[in-house]
Amino acid sequence: MAFTRKPQTYSSSINEVTIGTGDKAVTLGGANIMPLYTFDAPAKNKIAVGAEITDTGVDRTLPGIAAFYEGAETVAEIAKRASEMPGADFVALALNGADPNGDNRSVEECVEIAKQVADAIDVPLVITGARNVEKDTELFSKLAEALEGKNVLFVSAREENYKTVAASAVMAYGNKISAESAVDINLAKQLNVLLSQMGIKPESYVMNVGAAAAGYGYDYVASTLDRVKDAALAQNDVMLQMPIITPVSQETWAVKESIVSEEDYPEWGDRETRGVDMEVCTAAAVIAGGSDAVILRHPQSVATISGMIADLM
Amino acid sequence: MFTLTFKIENQRQDIKCQVEAGETVLRAAERLGIAIDAPCAGNGTCGKCRIRLISGALEMPQNPRLPYSDYEEMWRLACQSKVIGDAVVWVPATASAFKEDIATADLSTPEELERYDSSIEEIFRSGLSLTPFEEGCGVAVDIGTTTVTAALLDLKTGKVLSKASRGNGQIRYGADVINRIIQQMRPGGKERLQKAVREETIIPIMEVLLKDSGKKSSDIKRIVLAGNTTMEHLFIGADGDSIRLEPYVPEFLELTDIDSEKAGLPAAPGSPVIFAPNVGSYVGGDITAGVLDTLLWNSEQMTLFIDLGTNGELVLGNSDYMLTCACSAGPAFEGGDISCGMRATTGAIDSVHIDEETLEPEYSLISGDRPLGLCGSGLIDIISELFRTGAVNSKGKFVRESRRIRYDEYGGNYIVAFASESGTEKDIELTEGDLDNFIRAKAAIFSAIRTMLGTLAMSVDDIDRVIIAGGIGSGIDIENAISIGMLPMIPLEKYSYIGNSSLTGACAMLLSDEAVEKVFEIGRNMTYIELSTEPGYMDEFLAACFLPHTDQRLFEKN
Repeated sequence: MAFTRKPQTYSSSINEVTIGTGDKAVTLGGANIMPLYTFDAPAKNKIAVGAEITDTGVDRTLPGIAAFYEGAETVAEIAKRASEMPGADFVALALNGADPNGDNRSVEECVEIAKQVADAIDVPLVITGARNVEKDTELFSKLAEALEGKNVLFVSAREENYKTVAASAVMAYGNKISAESAVDINLAKQLNVLLSQMGIKPESYVMNVGAAAAGYGYDYVASTLDRVKDAALAQNDVMLQMPIITPVSQETWAVKESIVSEEDYPEWGDRETRGVDMEVCTAAAVIAGGSDAVILRHPQSVATISGMIADLM
Repeated sequence: MFTLTFKIENQRQDIKCQVEAGETVLRAAERLGIAIDAPCAGNGTCGKCRIRLISGALEMPQNPRLPYSDYEEMWRLACQSKVIGDAVVWVPATASAFKEDIATADLSTPEELERYDSSIEEIFRSGLSLTPFEEGCGVAVDIGTTTVTAALLDLKTGKVLSKASRGNGQIRYGADVINRIIQQMRPGGKERLQKAVREETIIPIMEVLLKDSGKKSSDIKRIVLAGNTTMEHLFIGADGDSIRLEPYVPEFLELTDIDSEKAGLPAAPGSPVIFAPNVGSYVGGDITAGVLDTLLWNSEQMTLFIDLGTNGELVLGNSDYMLTCACSAGPAFEGGDISCGMRATTGAIDSVHIDEETLEPEYSLISGDRPLGLCGSGLIDIISELFRTGAVNSKGKFVRESRRIRYDEYGGNYIVAFASESGTEKDIELTEGDLDNFIRAKAAIFSAIRTMLGTLAMSVDDIDRVIIAGGIGSGIDIENAISIGMLPMIPLEKYSYIGNSSLTGACAMLLSDEAVEKVFEIGRNMTYIELSTEPGYMDEFLAACFLPHTDQRLFEKN
């Protein structure tokens, strides 16, 4: 008997959230199939890949990164170069220097940097903050004002500051936000409910359900992503139908495999290769789990993952 | 050695004692039998054991439960204050709230008596027969973690001759069973805990019962005790640690062949003392006796029985099978773990309405003129009202502005009564921390219900009726309890309240050997679910830690 294909599509779908403006704007989400199951139905939008840059400059100790950004010295030049990275759909500015426990760069300085970045690129801009609740609250409010009209995505609002961040970034200045929770489906949903209760529209926010580098508790991330996608599609849970963005690079470049030198661990081989491997395998895993966008640092990772997406979608 | 003097409000005589340097005021008070309520067992976490330093000095570290302004006004926490010299302290009357008459389901109102009469009638209409006693009377006691309630019955006629209740004297060793067990395992703890419940609580209650009915202790021919597993262990002096520690298997489930001498209770020599049987570590004799009262075992209807006491216990089933579990709801429903919480007694706010526009409250008191705090039903009301009016969000965080809402470094606080209106000379306020504690307590109840239903692949719609028992139950507004996600969203008419089912069950056991047999059978037939080892429970719990619930479809009105 002939094999009859039964496409597994859902009547529910992931919300669509557009970031950036003009021709290069990117729309996240929209799928009504399990992640990458394009044999069931075409995915409405491509999974997006972002190239990460930081306010603290380029890590030129890695030859691949140093070569890619060669000649780019100013923030604007670096941003422009990142926006042209093959395979990158958007630029993600990480304001690591704003961390009060680090350089504690002032909000005014951060706004200046962000403006230069936004003016230098024509692709959408994603801004990840200092990952400090108080600083991010202030930072996102001021940045949202300065970048009104740019349709920037701020990563992330958390339970402690969602009210202020959503009120300024989305309601006052029309930008987008991501709701971050700590690898738990209930906590993810609760934050989405709180945002919707404030009157934030589904097309204005995505979520970041938490991340971990492969091997560092990734099993929790995997099961959370699986359950979120199942609830969103199979159970039509509208409070979990937000697209997911995962800042992969911040996790993978902070683990031992990506940090220790080859001199100390000769048997592990080249540090840059290891870092790229960690970034690529983690990104591939979150994409297979249902992430609609990933943020990566290394040009080679961006090329590899965008190639994988192109082949599978 | 130093001299510590206690000046006690409303008491003419001061009490002096010699104390060693470094001893805490609370320990000294315990030794002298001065009642200072310490629900957290002196861990410095509840802030209830406030006393005032009049002269001399005490050493006390900063404590988040005592604001600096109060510290400046010489308020101290008795459990944290060490004696470092001669001192005089003042003990407010509110420190000994447990000794007062606690409004509880103790057969003292006509409705309760009527409910009791019809319950007893129904139990004996179900096929159980009364034992033909020729003479004498019997005493039924419900040993609650917080309150002990008892009734004296004429065995021949079945009539209630007198009834009485009193706070459990063990309260000063902790509000919950875990703290009591920890105290029991300290040197001399077994005797102390036993004495607190027997000599200081049950025997005085029995004396009241005898006095009010004009009977003598030699008239008492039969005693039934129903308490949770821990209460029965502490009463008889068995090791409570077996309940507290893995694998949570108590020293005994059934206690038989105990007479009044062995139990140390006043009665005619050789009178039997019957203990309602336990099912597991956290489901005890109060539940098996209570189930007898619910008639759950005699009905085809799928019944959910909830006993809301210091611990929440649940029974789900019908005449074919019964499941039971306990959830660590904690003492929030009885006012513990809540900064302005108190038991349902004089001065307790038991119902609240909040204006949607102004957020101004209207409240009623159980009795008295000035509010002292909020009891369980008042807490359910206020949280439901704060949520309804949008003053707090689904996470239990304050999000509106009003003269009633004050924000500080720990979050928002809602002022229920300003100092000028309250009976404590302080604002009565509900903090975000209180909301957190309460939300966890209600989540424990609801997630236990869901987990238990889940093991049978049932949903809340399969429940035919819900029976609520326990001290908190009488005043509880079911609709409000549903709106905050504490009880499942099913038609209100399916809910009923049966008062102190443990005491009623114990009374039935007093009057009938067949009822005793039945309770033992109920105990053996119940399937005990240990929630702490149930894999899905934690997930259910987290989902329930939200107002009303993370899965809002469970509480959608249609």
